[in-house]
Amino acid sequence: MPVIGIPTAELRRRIGEEVEGDKLLEVLGDMGCDVEGLATLRRMQCVRCGFVMELAGKEDTPPTCGNCTTPLRDVEGSTREMSPIEVVRMELLAVRPDMFDPAGLARAIRGVLGIETGPIEYPSHDVVAKLTVDPSVRRPESLRPHIACAVIENVTLDDDSIKLLMKLQENLHWALGRNRKHASIGVYDLDSLGGDTEFEYTTEPPDYRFVPLGATGSEPWTLERILEEHAKGRAYANLLQGFDRYPILRSKSGQVLSMPPIINSEETKVHGKSRRFFIDVTGSGQRIVQRTLAILVTSILEYHKDAKLGLVEIHGATDAGEVDGATTTLVTPDLAPQIARVDSEHTAKLLGIPLSTDDVEELLRKMRHGISKRNGTEIEVEVPAYRNDILHERDLMEDAAIAFGYRNIPRALVPTLTVGKELHSTRVTSDLRDILVGMGYLELFTIALTSTEQGDDVLGLAAHPRAVVLDNPISSDQTQLRTSLLPGLLQTFARNRHNALPQRVFELGEVSFLSDEAETGAHERHYVAFGTIAPKVGFAEIRAEAEAFVREARIPFRLERAEVPFLVPGRAAFLVGDAGAPIGVFGEVHPRTLARLGLQNPAVMFEMTVPTEDGTPEYLALGESPLRT
Amino acid sequence: MELTPDESRVLTELTGDETAMPELVARVGEDQAKVAAACTLLAEKGLVAVREVPFVEFVFKGDPLPDGWTPPRQRIFAALSDAGEPLAMQDVAARAGLEPQAVGQNLKGLLASGAVAKQGGNLALTGKPFACPETDAVLLLVSKGTAREAELVSDGVDVGALREFGPAALGKKAILEREKTDRFVQLTPAGVERKASGVEAVREVSQITPELLASGEWESVKFKPYDIHLETEPFRTGKKHPLQRVLESTRQAFLEMGFEESVSSYVESGFWDFDALFQPQDHPAREMQDTFYVAKPGKTPLPDEELVRRVRETHETGGDTGSVGWRYKWDPAKAMQNVLRTHTTATTVREVAKNPKGPRKVFSIGRVFRRETIDYKHLPIFYQVDGIIIDKDASFSTLLGTLAAFYERMGFEKFYFRPGFFPYTEPSVEVFIWHEEKQDWFEMGGSGIFRPEVTEPLGCTEPVLAWGLGLDRLAMLLHDRSDIRDLYLSDLDWLREEPRCR
Repeated sequence: MPVIGIPTAELRRRIGEEVEGDKLLEVLGDMGCDVEGLATLRRMQCVRCGFVMELAGKEDTPPTCGNCTTPLRDVEGSTREMSPIEVVRMELLAVRPDMFDPAGLARAIRGVLGIETGPIEYPSHDVVAKLTVDPSVRRPESLRPHIACAVIENVTLDDDSIKLLMKLQENLHWALGRNRKHASIGVYDLDSLGGDTEFEYTTEPPDYRFVPLGATGSEPWTLERILEEHAKGRAYANLLQGFDRYPILRSKSGQVLSMPPIINSEETKVHGKSRRFFIDVTGSGQRIVQRTLAILVTSILEYHKDAKLGLVEIHGATDAGEVDGATTTLVTPDLAPQIARVDSEHTAKLLGIPLSTDDVEELLRKMRHGISKRNGTEIEVEVPAYRNDILHERDLMEDAAIAFGYRNIPRALVPTLTVGKELHSTRVTSDLRDILVGMGYLELFTIALTSTEQGDDVLGLAAHPRAVVLDNPISSDQTQLRTSLLPGLLQTFARNRHNALPQRVFELGEVSFLSDEAETGAHERHYVAFGTIAPKVGFAEIRAEAEAFVREARIPFRLERAEVPFLVPGRAAFLVGDAGAPIGVFGEVHPRTLARLGLQNPAVMFEMTVPTEDGTPEYLALGESPLRT
Repeated sequence: MELTPDESRVLTELTGDETAMPELVARVGEDQAKVAAACTLLAEKGLVAVREVPFVEFVFKGDPLPDGWTPPRQRIFAALSDAGEPLAMQDVAARAGLEPQAVGQNLKGLLASGAVAKQGGNLALTGKPFACPETDAVLLLVSKGTAREAELVSDGVDVGALREFGPAALGKKAILEREKTDRFVQLTPAGVERKASGVEAVREVSQITPELLASGEWESVKFKPYDIHLETEPFRTGKKHPLQRVLESTRQAFLEMGFEESVSSYVESGFWDFDALFQPQDHPAREMQDTFYVAKPGKTPLPDEELVRRVRETHETGGDTGSVGWRYKWDPAKAMQNVLRTHTTATTVREVAKNPKGPRKVFSIGRVFRRETIDYKHLPIFYQVDGIIIDKDASFSTLLGTLAAFYERMGFEKFYFRPGFFPYTEPSVEVFIWHEEKQDWFEMGGSGIFRPEVTEPLGCTEPVLAWGLGLDRLAMLLHDRSDIRDLYLSDLDWLREEPRCR
């Protein structure tokens, strides 16, 4: 999760009531924020575009501006140092994008602290702009057929508020947009369009041109060049891969605003003197673009109390349902609350807290919900448009619990009596473990992921035909699940060459095999393995210990001579079970195997399958390699 | 006061007057070390007094000298006298019958005498007389082999010259000078008394043997005492792994609370690992970057059609769970893809489906897999305990109570429950425990009440409390390890030395 810094002065100013430092962090934690603590950040402004960058401690100037990509590091006069700022550092709470910025966060805190409860009305005036969606945007394979827009007027920006706006945009891209894939935001200076209030969302071929952000004074770039050469183009080109036409947002008079979701145009960029904004969110679903827009717009309105919100009429909008659905006309942003219902009795029972209907209402109001009606214990709730996470009545119950405070919830146990029961395999492995500890063996855990090189090759076996193989391993040493515990024990010896001998170790663990009988195509078997490395150890010792172990385990067996690549011929034996199949193997480790691992002392090893309720399964670690003689 | 055989024999040979150690050794007829050790023990018992007199002794350790040997200084002086004129160094060596470096080694002493001086590169006589005082001293020492300083002095040789010029004349290692001590031993009055009252020897025994026991001789012997502080070869016990001990305490805790143990396969279908848990198919946790997908076996057939339909509808529209759903087109192919289970919640949600009727309490302890590069904090594989309680009276309050009861059982007293956010539980909570020694909170895992979108499609209408808690983290805290690799890529010395008991 990305970590954000919320400026504490701004946050406190917005909360409005004095909250002590520790109390502030505690409240944030109780709301579910993963708070790291307070930090002081240096701030540095890009002289060219005014973008403010925050630097922790000793962090160097970034190589390029995070907004306009102008080179900054080691470039004289490219940055301006600003006063440092104290922030609360916390992980972005992905499910609550409405709490990403100080304004939205303060709105929530004021509710929880009871300073101000219930919903906030965000007045909007008339439809002030119109946008037409070109049918080419709605082709079935299109990734972003949906668009929602807004106009905000009468805003005075300073460096801090530009910074906050950009940060919020960036974080919404990450959390809701899934890195611009599902939703991508554009904010433009409406005054740069010379009074134009009609727009279109369309597509253009790769040779279409405009001047992308950061390319001041340059000739227009083709869309193809933007994707290949512009920093943002390269970063997000994958989102447009495979298309022969790319999304374009432009005004009726032909001024390009942006190429969603890649880059805005230079001419329409927001600066300190901008007073009116046009905002668009394009994306893969109607709900996600609407929610993203609602969150952004309400945060701006929280921040700029005098701002006026203008609506945009969208013609030819893709209907909320499927990608290839019908078209409709929408007016956005839609800040109308979502209506949901919650039963106060159910809430009290589920939470295990004695709550009246009044209590539940008050708790919900603390979470900034509105209450429109009450019918007995059923409450009709108005969920603010900026909340994206209320899918079910249950989500409102959680909201009530958070407002109540998890730390205030009494802790109890379920009164129902049930009887505990362990698995058969737990009992058996626990007995075997007791035997081995009694024999003086030290227990090991090794990593259950391995590879042919780290597993079968160590034992001199052919690649196991029944191994579970990964599709996307993270390292060449871990490409499959283990089929034997022996390589792990031998590698432990190799890793502990510097430690005193003798070394006596065991592992009781699961190995995995493909199986036609298993529902998912593979299952685990418990195996047990032990071994000793010492200057003087040989077959006689392991023979005696093997016999003692198997006898203690009450497993019927007989011995048969074994020839396996990792044991010395003539000094290896199979344990053969009642069914006539081998259930285990032991013997002196072959010098070839020792040499491969760089071991300079003799070793003896033992491995066996652990009995199940139906007897002791066949020993399968050797794959197709074993030879019984 | 019992005496060992050695002590009693020494005591017998001593009187109230001093006896020199060599004489005592001769009288006792044992070797020097034993007699000396017995004297020391007797002195500790106050029966004898030992007087020590330090002295200096010279030892000649070189080869025998040839007849008519004279020191190199003398020979160099003689060679120059014979020549009657200054000589170059190599000529001096040849005429004196010395190695060139021997001339060099002895030159300093010769120049110091004033009888010889350097003239340019040559050596010349100054006309001063030259006496060679080490000659007698060396010859006397060589003839004696070993001589005390006092002895040499009383014989009238120049010990100073022996020290100064001897090593150059005979070679550095040929003369050894060392400090030694004469010991004189006598009985104290208590010793005289003890000797008079009769000295009885007791046999001292180190090893108790079957013969000793059979003969009854053990009654009259003394068992040689050992130095109890002396280090011995370390003894290595067999032992359970620290992580295993945590797994066992965890299991024990849940068994005691009436939970039934369950298990499922490492290879799990997307359906049970994610879909049945209402985790949307484009959720970041399902990306190739975070989850191990399995090539072999690549797919699991979907469970029965009715169940799949309910799960699909819940994802798409909420179905009849009262939810709005995730609003996307659910893809059965993704649900069939096999993964290495990312949590043992796959095990417990299967239990809900298998038997959705409460009251039930189920737990599962097992390995889970995340696509992580190995470092001190991360391994691609680790242990979790998942648990569920299906009960009509289960509530968020009983969830917090159960979690607290578990961690209390593991030795912790303070908990912090922070709102958490997981796709399959609501309300959700993250569990923190307070570590008194480290004075810090540690996050242990996630928990909550399964969403109706999870339970209702499985036919379960009662609240289902659920949790997935990390156990490696707990083992590290309890055993004070900061590197998770210590648990799986173990240093045997740590495992050997980490005490079984906490």
